[in-house]
Amino acid sequence: MKPSRLPLVVTWAVLVFFYLPIAILVIQSFNSARFGGSWETTSLKWYRQLLNEPSIWHALTNTLIIAGTATLASMVLGTSAAFALHRYGGSRLQKLHYSLIYMPLVLPEILMGLSLLLFFVAVNVQLGLATIFIAHVTFCLSYVAMTVLARLQDFDFAIIEAAQDLGAGWWTTLWKVLVPMLAPGILAGGLLAFTLSIDDFVISFFVAGPGSTTLPIKIYSMIKYGSPPLINALSTLLLLVTFASVAASQHLTRKDRAAAA
Amino acid sequence: MKKAMVKSLGTGLLLAALAAGCGPKKPVLHIYTWSDYVKPELVTRFEQENGCRVVIDTFDSNEAMYAKLKAGATGYDLLFPSSYMVKIMNEQGMLQKLNPEWLPNRKNMDPAYLAMAVDKEMEHSVPYTATITCLGYLGSRVENPEPTWAMLDRGDLKGRMTMLNDYRETIGSALKFLGYSLNTLDDGQLAEAKAVVLRWKKNLAKFENEQYKTGLASGEFLLTHGYSGDLMLVQSENEDIEIVVPREGTALSFDDMVIPATAQQTELAHRFINFILEPQVAAELTEYIYFLCPNEPSYALLSDEIREDPILFPPPEVVAKLEMIQDLGEGNVKYTQLWDEIKAGE
Repeated sequence: MKPSRLPLVVTWAVLVFFYLPIAILVIQSFNSARFGGSWETTSLKWYRQLLNEPSIWHALTNTLIIAGTATLASMVLGTSAAFALHRYGGSRLQKLHYSLIYMPLVLPEILMGLSLLLFFVAVNVQLGLATIFIAHVTFCLSYVAMTVLARLQDFDFAIIEAAQDLGAGWWTTLWKVLVPMLAPGILAGGLLAFTLSIDDFVISFFVAGPGSTTLPIKIYSMIKYGSPPLINALSTLLLLVTFASVAASQHLTRKDRAAAA
Repeated sequence: MKKAMVKSLGTGLLLAALAAGCGPKKPVLHIYTWSDYVKPELVTRFEQENGCRVVIDTFDSNEAMYAKLKAGATGYDLLFPSSYMVKIMNEQGMLQKLNPEWLPNRKNMDPAYLAMAVDKEMEHSVPYTATITCLGYLGSRVENPEPTWAMLDRGDLKGRMTMLNDYRETIGSALKFLGYSLNTLDDGQLAEAKAVVLRWKKNLAKFENEQYKTGLASGEFLLTHGYSGDLMLVQSENEDIEIVVPREGTALSFDDMVIPATAQQTELAHRFINFILEPQVAAELTEYIYFLCPNEPSYALLSDEIREDPILFPPPEVVAKLEMIQDLGEGNVKYTQLWDEIKAGE
């Protein structure tokens, strides 16, 4: 029986569907026309203008600070949550805990955003980067918890007991046994949280304070009346950074992967 | 080892906190406005002249800004909502009264435009820009163009037209075409307008609020219903685009400067408004954003090209037919119902 070419065709179709818009985004960043309808001239005009646009860099900095800190916090909190859920999953408290953790995953973002804003106003907290940080940790930790929980299903607790048998205190057990074994799950959850935090618009819009505009908010307001190609240029740069870091990490771990293979 | 680390970290943070508290602090003015709506050089000039910092945050729609402020968000000193939103916010008590003594430049406001504004005395709002709704088309692809709403009836442009996805603007244009007021509550007139819009709908590609500009520039659409500022922006890039103001009349809208009730830097906000009202500043703004700043002494300072533009400065017979979209309170229901029927109808 000849192997079918269909899987290959489908794969190519899906890849094109995903990457063609991104390719067009990158190509249009070199188009000097402001409204990309037709090709004006090929130029680096938007990249030059990007260097002189402090508001975009300020928004990008805010976004990265919030994404970084929210990811770290949610990795810590999410892992602890997942551990509690797995270890003591039977009790009524943990069942309640599970539904609370699950809720941010299913609640519409606008409900979360508005309710967080009302909450912050009620307790008289000044809106700013801190409030966006708290809001992001709220939903990011759910994603990390779910990812780590999945990883914990395959976890053999005998290893912990063996470590304790050998005389390890709880701190050593935590850092030398538990975390390294859960590391892939925690990192996967962390990456997911990072992406979601950078991407978030609705919740950030409501809880952002004056001066703490994030990149999605800035981009969204530029659609109404602004220069979209500036964002094309910024996105291309972000893509370059992402691909470079992935390539670097692949290069650094190639020996480990070769050894595992 | 751990204790030493914690100690040094603690001292470091303490020093940083102290350092941040020291030194003369410049007052900060927080502005909440549309993207790209104030010329950056003007902001820098204001900062230097007044020894302050200006932080601009942007929103993408009046409704989103209103929702956020109504829910209790504070920290903004100056807002730039559209005038229909200003009326709503004022009724909710969200705005402060302006102090006329701190706004000596208010006499520069063009009385012809001020007469059409909702807040004629500038008690709580000062008009920032005026924009009219008009039709934009590609000159080379549309034959025999005429400055009338009847262009939307043309069969040869079928499927290549858009209208605004705004119920007041679109129903309003039909009302104007029929010779009625776009704030009417008369059921007979509204029914006629509905029939007209349904007729036009057959020729439309879609109802679109933002992407009509790019669509027109790329040739995807041949005729679009849009705002003068946006269309002029695309026109500056694409020579082929022409703009006309329909002779039956059209909608006029303002974006206003208002100070929220919770503002901290009230005096600085007033100074910014006064700064915008200077003729030189208003002229620079008009040239930069292609929206008209209705500041009378500034007209003389504009370049000839801008001064003679029929869209920024329409002839008197067109100005006479301009109408502001008023909030109709209870009557709004009639329009929203009509819009639902139009969207669902064939």
